[in-house]
Amino acid sequence: MNAYIRMWKAQSGAELLRTMRNRRFFMLGIVMPVMLYFVFVASVGDNVQIGGIDWKAYYLISMTAFGIIGSSLNSLGPRLSQERTQGWAKWLRTTPLPNSAYLFSKILAQAAIHVGIIVLMFAVGILVKHIHMPAHFWLESALWLLFGMIPFLALGTLLGTFDAPEVVTVLSTVLQMMLSLLGGLWTPTEQMPAWLVNVAHALPSYRFAEGAWNIMAGRAIPWETPAILLGYAAVFILLAVWRLSRKGARA
Amino acid sequence: MSPAIDLNKVTKRFGKKVAVQELSLRVERGTSMALLGRNGAGKTTTLSMLLGVSSPTEGRLSVLGGKPTDAKVRDRLGAMMQEVSVIERLRVEETIELVRKYYDKPLPLRTLLDWSGLTPHAKLMTQGLSGGQKRRLSFALALAGDPELLFLDEPTVGMDIESRQRFWETIEQLKARGKTLILTTHHMDEAERIADRVVVIDEGILKADGTLDEIRRLNRVRTMTFTAGPDVTPERLRALIGGAETAWDGRRVRLTAADTDRLLRTLIRDGADISDIEISAGGLEQALQTIWSRERKGETA
Ligand SMILES: Nc1ncnc2c1ncn2[C@@H]1O[C@H](COP(=O)(O)OP(=O)(O)OP(=O)(O)O)[C@@H](O)[C@H]1O
Ligand SMILES: [Mg+2]
Repeated sequence: MNAYIRMWKAQSGAELLRTMRNRRFFMLGIVMPVMLYFVFVASVGDNVQIGGIDWKAYYLISMTAFGIIGSSLNSLGPRLSQERTQGWAKWLRTTPLPNSAYLFSKILAQAAIHVGIIVLMFAVGILVKHIHMPAHFWLESALWLLFGMIPFLALGTLLGTFDAPEVVTVLSTVLQMMLSLLGGLWTPTEQMPAWLVNVAHALPSYRFAEGAWNIMAGRAIPWETPAILLGYAAVFILLAVWRLSRKGARA
Repeated sequence: MSPAIDLNKVTKRFGKKVAVQELSLRVERGTSMALLGRNGAGKTTTLSMLLGVSSPTEGRLSVLGGKPTDAKVRDRLGAMMQEVSVIERLRVEETIELVRKYYDKPLPLRTLLDWSGLTPHAKLMTQGLSGGQKRRLSFALALAGDPELLFLDEPTVGMDIESRQRFWETIEQLKARGKTLILTTHHMDEAERIADRVVVIDEGILKADGTLDEIRRLNRVRTMTFTAGPDVTPERLRALIGGAETAWDGRRVRLTAADTDRLLRTLIRDGADISDIEISAGGLEQALQTIWSRERKGETA
């Protein structure tokens, strides 16, 4: 038991350190969301209402979601793909580190990073943009975002099962942008044509932010929102497991 | 005590390709074994199965009395794989520290840095290491858990002279401490330096298995070197010894033949003026060439 705790701690710590040192993660997970937030809040105006809440609060959620999606995809996918194709993952299998600890410590480190992103974004909203909300709204939104990131971690893992790290790197960023654009994270669905709204509603990115928008507006979260998120997570996980087991059979 | 490794009619197929065929092999603890063979002979495939990275298509194997996938067994073995790989965005010392945590009784960081010659590079990011340095890091990582059984798949490829020297000195120390070593290499001097036992495979089939001396003696060709006096001309020599292969370097003659004893007697009987005679049986390299040439003639070893 002690051995497991020792390995987990070391492995998650190393993964955390590696993510923090990754410039791509910094750009796509932190710098871009913060910059876009300032630009779009300034250009639309602080006091506009959207979806029943202040635009500056609405867009804070959008950009936090955007950052978490980016961090999940861009850290997990390329790194898993690279480590598998370049033999590191194979070598690890000769060590006592359990296979599960390898993947799950990456995911754990990612979750810790996301707590950091949420704290940072919310601090920007509260301290810089002076958003006033009851404390439990903030807390509940943060918890929701931590739950809602599951399908994106699963998607990152799925991307990591492809054998071309360079392609995976590009694909991760493209997916982050597409999911955010179509999911109404850049421009709210209120400003989209009806057919696009239907697309958005089917996407995990929209559902991810929707939960937190609703919490901020003091509204209940519809049951299908977590259901859709979990559905995506299940599909991505099953696909990842299937792809990995097929590779295992060929080893 | 159970043997270090035990393969029982192990076969590995990749589709139609048979990489290893009914290989049976038992290596006792404390042995240093060299697994030799040409490119594609099945050495890496055999090691992968022993390391639990891939599984045999048929047959059974055990490592240190257990399954190689068992965490308890893995805690006691170390491996340098043929493809070296490092993880990015960690320093050399951070990588070693991380891997040390996987094992119950790891060696100290300082020792590992010292043995791999990486002490001056401890703070470097791994992605900034040169090819040879990466291989040295993989050596440090293989030793991190103070393994009883060490697998080395072409470990010195890309290492400079000094690193190679340090590497083999460390390996000799480990051998003296009773560790079991399984080595593959294409450098026969390396195999001769540390192997007690030599196993030769070709196309996945066992071709020879014996002590270093036994395998060396498979070589029937000897090399005889001598200094020829002024009256020993190439023509005269050819008349005496027939078709044996000779190479002249000034007055120094190198002669390669299977029956050097008979040729030497002929030369002495003839009264040829030759001096400084040396006869050598040749090393592993010649022995392997003998095995390959038998193969071509369809003989069995
Ligand atoms: N994953 C794989 N899929 C298909 N064929 C493979 C695979 N791995 C190895 N082989 C084949 O199995 C045979 C043995 O390969 P292996 O890597 O074990 O050789 P080796 O003795 O280590 O050679 P080298 O000295 O070049 O390293 C080769 O013919 C190789 O092409
Ligand atoms: Mg090989």
